[in-house]
Amino acid sequence: MAASSLSRAVRHVVLVVFVLLMIYPLLWMLVSSFKPSNLILSQTGLFPAEITLENYADGWDALGSPFSLFLGNSLLIGVGSVIGNLFSCSLTAYALARLNFRMSKVYLALTLMTIMLPFHVLVIPQYILFAELGWINTYIPLLLPKFLATDAVFIFLMVQFIRSLPRELDQAAMIDGAGPFRIFWSVILPLMQPALITTTIFTFIWTWNDYFGPLLYLTRTELYTVPVALKSLVDTETQSGIGTMFAMSLLSLVPIVLFFVFAQRYIIKGIATTGIK
Amino acid sequence: MMTLTSSKDTGRRVRGAPAAAGVKPPRGRAKPSGGTRGQGLVAHVFLLPWMIGMVAVTAGPLIASAVLAFTDYDLLSPPQFIGLDNFVRMAGDERFWAAVRVTLVYVLVSVPLQLGFALFLAVVLDKGLRGLSLYRSAFYLPSLLGGSVAIAILWRQIFGENGLVNHVLGWFGLELGSWLQDPSLALSTLVVLNVWTFGSPMVIFLAGLRQIPEELYEASMIDGAGRVRRFWSITIPLLTPIIFLNLVLQMISAFQAFTQAHVVSGGSGGPLDSTLFYTLYIYQRGFVNFDMGYASAMAWVLLLVIAAATAANFIVSRRWVYYGDE
Amino acid sequence: MSDLTRRSFLTWTGMGALSVAALALAGCSPSGSGGDGSIRFAWWGGSDRQRAYLAALDAFTAEHPEIKVAPEFGDYDAYQERMTTQMAARDVPDVFWIPSPAVLTYRDAGLYRDLDGIGGLDLGAFGAEQVETFRLGGELNTLPKSIFSPVVRWNTTFQEEDGVSLPDQLTWDGLAELLVDYSKNNAGGRKGTTYGPYHDMPFESFLRQRGEDLWTEDGRLGASVDGVAAWIDWWEKLRLAGATTSVSEQDGIEPSWAQVGDKVLLTFANSNHIVDDAQAFPDHVFDQRDVPAAEDAAAGYHFTYYSRFAMYSGVPDDRVEAAAALMSFNLNSPELLSLVGLSAGAPPNADLLDAYEPDATPDEQKVIAITREIAGTEQRPRYEAPAGSGSWRDLMIRELEEVTLGQKSVPDAAAAFVEAVEGEIAGA
Repeated sequence: MAASSLSRAVRHVVLVVFVLLMIYPLLWMLVSSFKPSNLILSQTGLFPAEITLENYADGWDALGSPFSLFLGNSLLIGVGSVIGNLFSCSLTAYALARLNFRMSKVYLALTLMTIMLPFHVLVIPQYILFAELGWINTYIPLLLPKFLATDAVFIFLMVQFIRSLPRELDQAAMIDGAGPFRIFWSVILPLMQPALITTTIFTFIWTWNDYFGPLLYLTRTELYTVPVALKSLVDTETQSGIGTMFAMSLLSLVPIVLFFVFAQRYIIKGIATTGIK
Repeated sequence: MMTLTSSKDTGRRVRGAPAAAGVKPPRGRAKPSGGTRGQGLVAHVFLLPWMIGMVAVTAGPLIASAVLAFTDYDLLSPPQFIGLDNFVRMAGDERFWAAVRVTLVYVLVSVPLQLGFALFLAVVLDKGLRGLSLYRSAFYLPSLLGGSVAIAILWRQIFGENGLVNHVLGWFGLELGSWLQDPSLALSTLVVLNVWTFGSPMVIFLAGLRQIPEELYEASMIDGAGRVRRFWSITIPLLTPIIFLNLVLQMISAFQAFTQAHVVSGGSGGPLDSTLFYTLYIYQRGFVNFDMGYASAMAWVLLLVIAAATAANFIVSRRWVYYGDE
Repeated sequence: MSDLTRRSFLTWTGMGALSVAALALAGCSPSGSGGDGSIRFAWWGGSDRQRAYLAALDAFTAEHPEIKVAPEFGDYDAYQERMTTQMAARDVPDVFWIPSPAVLTYRDAGLYRDLDGIGGLDLGAFGAEQVETFRLGGELNTLPKSIFSPVVRWNTTFQEEDGVSLPDQLTWDGLAELLVDYSKNNAGGRKGTTYGPYHDMPFESFLRQRGEDLWTEDGRLGASVDGVAAWIDWWEKLRLAGATTSVSEQDGIEPSWAQVGDKVLLTFANSNHIVDDAQAFPDHVFDQRDVPAAEDAAAGYHFTYYSRFAMYSGVPDDRVEAAAALMSFNLNSPELLSLVGLSAGAPPNADLLDAYEPDATPDEQKVIAITREIAGTEQRPRYEAPAGSGSWRDLMIRELEEVTLGQKSVPDAAAAFVEAVEGEIAGA
């Protein structure tokens, strides 16, 4: 017993040291966000000579609208995208992983192909499409594609998870007389909870961090998302605004950290508590 | 289905011959009476959103870029068909080959490192310790920062002439200049950046570990298997679909690495093209030089390379990935 | 947990359908993409400039209640990325700033509307001769929103501490000698300057003094291999003599001002940069003056850089007057100037500058002084960068990397630079 508690303590120490090493850059950023902006790059120590909150105060209102507006916009797009991906990708993945039909391999290949092309050559035709539809300065170009299973990464992810589930599960349900929809709904979905949570986490965080799409589609400041707003804080020519950018970057990390802490708990509760009695 | 998870005999099967894991049911029973074609209709109902998305959102730009690959297109005047000229030009373009080299090195070095790191930490952070969710979140923090503008400044702070890394190396008497300005070191800082943001594959591994039925471990413990043995005979085989998934996803994303190199090098890919990732060069050609035809051609070459690498992965995967549905 | 998944999946999906519908409806409300008759105005900068211009646009709307303005803002890189996409989609803002390497690219793309004969465009503050200098290839299709010139900017605080003085007649050789000398002898371990051959404006001045142009009237690179080599050589001698910060120290060929601004005596800069740059080091005082000149400098080498803006050629006729009113406001409004200041350059309208002077900050006074000094010089014509030259500064950086890493000789690098730029222009 003593040996095992000792080994546990050792593991904790090792982990804490490792965590500190990993997040050192973030700690430096945190400290810097409390320094006067002009000292951040000239006095780089971890212990500031002077502490100020002005970066937070200035950053909050720097773009003529309170920063909460951009947090709200990002939240809206994040939640909308999560819903869209959960809905559309799970349907697609189930069909591709479990249903027998001639085109399934072709479709999967096609899906994978869409993530292999760098988006810089796709973005202009896509922009033209959405501009023609008059959807610039709306969230439609950012959200609609999520409801149409265009995030192939998650389709692939869910396909892999479904394929790792024993077939016997469906077969048992099928013997009980369940059709594909019942099996999807009552057997597969509950069992793929870890995959759904993973999709939720990644979709939320990736859309939260997405920069290029919102930059192009949202030109009005009131519609900006967090990354576009953050980029607007720093003047690329003069490097001014680093302090406010750090402050607002850290502030905007808070919602996604909370989201992650909350969501990752559900990864734990996968198959162990569901399906199999 | 209970038979699978509770029988002692399952554990032995997994341990012994993973390729044959799971009861291989007579195929006929798995299919509804209508046979293969019968599920086609149902499948397409499930696939409806995907098909609409494919036709309405994805296909257009995809085809457009394929067509543009054979044109001279400066974004301003209508594209001019030039046949294979773009591809011929690539062969003689030094910077193209520099980008190919940089990207290949990056894929081959950073993907295994990042995945190994992620798998290791996922297993460590899986269970058996208090405060695991706290650790997980802390380790995930760097990934949350993503390709944010802040990264550019942080990386300069760490790898700059008077940065943290040189400070530490100084204790050992090593005197180096800024890593980001040294063509032989700059790429390694981006590999470190990629490994540092290992959170996504780690989360996928964690989720995969949760998929492994607890009963299998119990069964093998009854068999007297130790921790290490259980890891190699149960965890790893049953995790192979997820390892494969991560491998494919991270490989694709490494081939397409853009944001971090763009941010850290200020878009130049320097010094001396040592961080000129393939997609960064595509971006430069398309968005800086308004040379979208060439950029599209490069993108399709990349697609073919990634597709080949992925296909190779799929073929090789038959030898080492074990699905529960086989 | 299975309950959570099943039930929440249903609710979430339902919510999803609803929220998309709601957003789709929201999307139908007036957007900035021009459908509602507002004038789309696009500019770049940091958050300070964004706020200043938003306030200025409010002032404009107060003056012209019938005109609505939809602002489109981004930092310099984001602005260009967005503009490129919009340009390809022909969905361009009605009035927009033009990034310097893109002036002729945009013109060749037909983005500019001819401004001759638009009634609402008030060019009254400019003399006919001055308006002639605004034209591109004879056409009045862009206007300068602000102007600046290359300068030498020094740290007065260091200058006094170390007891150095700059001679009245500053030549390139004299400056080099002074910088080498300073780097050897100052007590603070400072360098004379940053490694700065990347600076485009002093480079252009250097070329003009040799009788060369950076860009020619017919859209080619005007710099000769010798000219480029002489420029790089001037810097290399300084660098090798230890008179500049190293590339590693200044974090790249393009020096990071925040990192080395307080480690050097002087730098090259644009005349407007002092406004923002000085703020990074509040304990130091900076001043600026005309760039050095060779004793045999060609006549008329001085030049004023026009930072331009334009009206999109696709602006419908019924909105041209409104867009022109906005352009006039940018050119002539004292209120706008008092809000945005001189950080992006001095106004080309000299009367406006005079009116602003009493309100100018001390650093802005220095901008005004040099602007007037340059305005009084003889200036031969200057031509804009042709299409395809957009990445010339990146090409310069790469050759400079080769040189500073010891992989290429200066003449080879200069020849490679000229060849690469000519290649890009020919390919465009």
